[in-house]
Amino acid sequence: MPTAASWTEVRRASEDVRHLIAFRASGVRRPLVFASVVSTFAGLTIAAAVVPSFIEGAGSQEDYALDAVLLLPTAMAGLMFLSVASAIASGGGRELLSREHGVAYPVSPTTDHLGALLLAPLNIAWLIQAWMLLGLTAYGLDTDTLLAAQIGMVVWIAAATAMGQVVAWSVEAVRRTDHGIVAIRLVGATVALLAVGLQLSGRVGTTLDALQTRWLVVGFVDGFNLRWVASVGVELAILVVAVALGAVPAHLAARRQPRDELKVESGSYPARRLPRSPFAGLVRTDRGSVWRAVPMRRGLAVLAIGPGLVALAGGLTWSQMTILPGLVASGGALLFGVNAWCLDHRGSLWRESLPVSPAAVFGARAWVLTEFLLVASFTTIVLAGLRAGPPTSAELAALLCTWVVVVLQVVSAAMRWSSRRPFAVDLRSARATPAPPVVMVGYSTKLAVTTTLTSLIFSGLAMVDAWELSVIVAVPFLTWSLVRMLHARDSWTDPVQRARVVTTVAG
Amino acid sequence: MTPSPVVDVRSLHVRFGEVEAVAGVDLQAQAGHSTALLGRNGAGKSTTMRVLAGVVPPTAGSVHVAGWDVRTHPLEVKRAVGYCPDVGGLVPRATPWEHLQLSARLRRLDSWEERARDLLERFELGDVAHRVTTGFSHGMGRRLSVCLAALHEPEVLLLDEPFDGVDPIGVEATLDVINDARSRGACVLVSTHLRELAVQACTSVLVLRGGAQVAIATAGEMAGEEGARAYRSLLD
Repeated sequence: MPTAASWTEVRRASEDVRHLIAFRASGVRRPLVFASVVSTFAGLTIAAAVVPSFIEGAGSQEDYALDAVLLLPTAMAGLMFLSVASAIASGGGRELLSREHGVAYPVSPTTDHLGALLLAPLNIAWLIQAWMLLGLTAYGLDTDTLLAAQIGMVVWIAAATAMGQVVAWSVEAVRRTDHGIVAIRLVGATVALLAVGLQLSGRVGTTLDALQTRWLVVGFVDGFNLRWVASVGVELAILVVAVALGAVPAHLAARRQPRDELKVESGSYPARRLPRSPFAGLVRTDRGSVWRAVPMRRGLAVLAIGPGLVALAGGLTWSQMTILPGLVASGGALLFGVNAWCLDHRGSLWRESLPVSPAAVFGARAWVLTEFLLVASFTTIVLAGLRAGPPTSAELAALLCTWVVVVLQVVSAAMRWSSRRPFAVDLRSARATPAPPVVMVGYSTKLAVTTTLTSLIFSGLAMVDAWELSVIVAVPFLTWSLVRMLHARDSWTDPVQRARVVTTVAG
Repeated sequence: MTPSPVVDVRSLHVRFGEVEAVAGVDLQAQAGHSTALLGRNGAGKSTTMRVLAGVVPPTAGSVHVAGWDVRTHPLEVKRAVGYCPDVGGLVPRATPWEHLQLSARLRRLDSWEERARDLLERFELGDVAHRVTTGFSHGMGRRLSVCLAALHEPEVLLLDEPFDGVDPIGVEATLDVINDARSRGACVLVSTHLRELAVQACTSVLVLRGGAQVAIATAGEMAGEEGARAYRSLLD
């Protein structure tokens, strides 16, 4: 079997990608809504690339505008880091056609690679980072040079995403070798230690200044000229090479068995004592479904530790830390919570035939999701707080209130969506998502907006010297989320609604 | 005097939006008897079984299982029933033993372990009792689903496509489970599209077509060449 893709293979893969996209598009249930969502995101992208240039002081080459330009190389590297991290966490990127559905078709690893590249932007973290990059460029540079710079930035965004994909496929190919999992963990730990070392030695700034992305930015600031051609030319070369090169590790990874999935599937789990109560039995089963799933474990590790380490390196203050629980809880819910009933997959019909009240089943599932999100966000908070010194009572109260409020907000939304729009999904593979990619973008946007706005309120309250205020403000938030959760429970306890959900997730 | 049926279905209709999956099924099944639901794919067999298991509510008609109305007493129905669904029927990341534990706990069973081990052995699943079911073959999954349905020796045993993709030893074990259930007085319903096995496993046969019943016959009438011809004519 060849490891590199020939041009014939690339051409065939490109055609297959087109067919798969057409196939996916034919399954869109509400085309008008889909078109309006796509238009909204396109509009937001154009707005991010243009609107900041109309803000006072934009392109003035001084103060904040100068800072924006100076930050561009770091922001460009940040996008690449994010592309690498999210592609690694999802085992090489998202699938245009899930493994289960695609098993009967000759979908080549090159097609898979190109599909994953196309789906990479359907990720709210990636979108926000890309918008920030375009916004910084629009604010920092003069309007005369803006078009040239934004073209350069768009090409960079594509190139960085393709490089992320190459790294992710390579990691996946290594992870699937004999001692691959250990090797990848060692490399990960080494990278983390290096980052900590740089931070402790105070060399983060020097390292960021040395990034070669600065060379690219220099080409963008003076408009269309030879230097711009050189910068964009380099970016295009990186893009083409990365897209082509990515097929090689994609083929290598496809040839090898996914070891962590096989470990879960062939591993033995010794019998434990009978659960204390029926509710405990339900919780135990649901916990097993979550913690034995590769995408959940891998996703949780990235979500809990990643933002925590970034916050640790950035030296966030306690009031700034209020943003973290919402970020982590939203990401955690996107691993399975937004389609929580899919955990049972084909077992849902059998589970539904067991004599237990639907309210208890709902309670157990909501509890397992809650504890999953609490564990993840608590880990992040602990990591972020290591360098922040002792908090004031107001800061501590604000952070704890944010933590509880946003987790409940996310659980309430996830349980509502789970009943409203169930999908039959097998969360067996690290690349699986609980809903189709476009739906995931909608969910992640809603969660990100809600939790970020809530966090900002508590961030402000952390600076007021009265801890009681955070608690008082938290009460209406919690009440509202609980009321909505009860509505979600009522929907689940309705036999007709429940039958629709159960038969859908059973496939 | 004829005893009252354990499963009593009258004019059952089940609608999913525009689609009418079941359009007027009548069914009476007695204790100590096994009834086969025969029909092609999409005939409404599985939906009828799901209604009897309390998983899908009926849109119209009356359905009583073990004396309970499925619409008003779904929990009592679920306590009386052991159900092997047509698709999968297993929680992907739970082991067979964990499935059995959950069923035992929710059904408040005592001293169930010996029977559970015996069932697993009879279906040759003893060696994989502590492995998650996501890696199971289709046949293994079917066999475990039958074990789960039979664990609590239910008053009504509902087996939906229990022979699908199952090897001869699994078929034999399933037939044993059906015979055991019938001999202890349980009412057994088996949904399948395999006429020969239906005849072997059951005493009477209900043929469904297009969501409605088209014939009721004894197993003898559906057996052999003559039965095959009769069945074929009912499907066309």
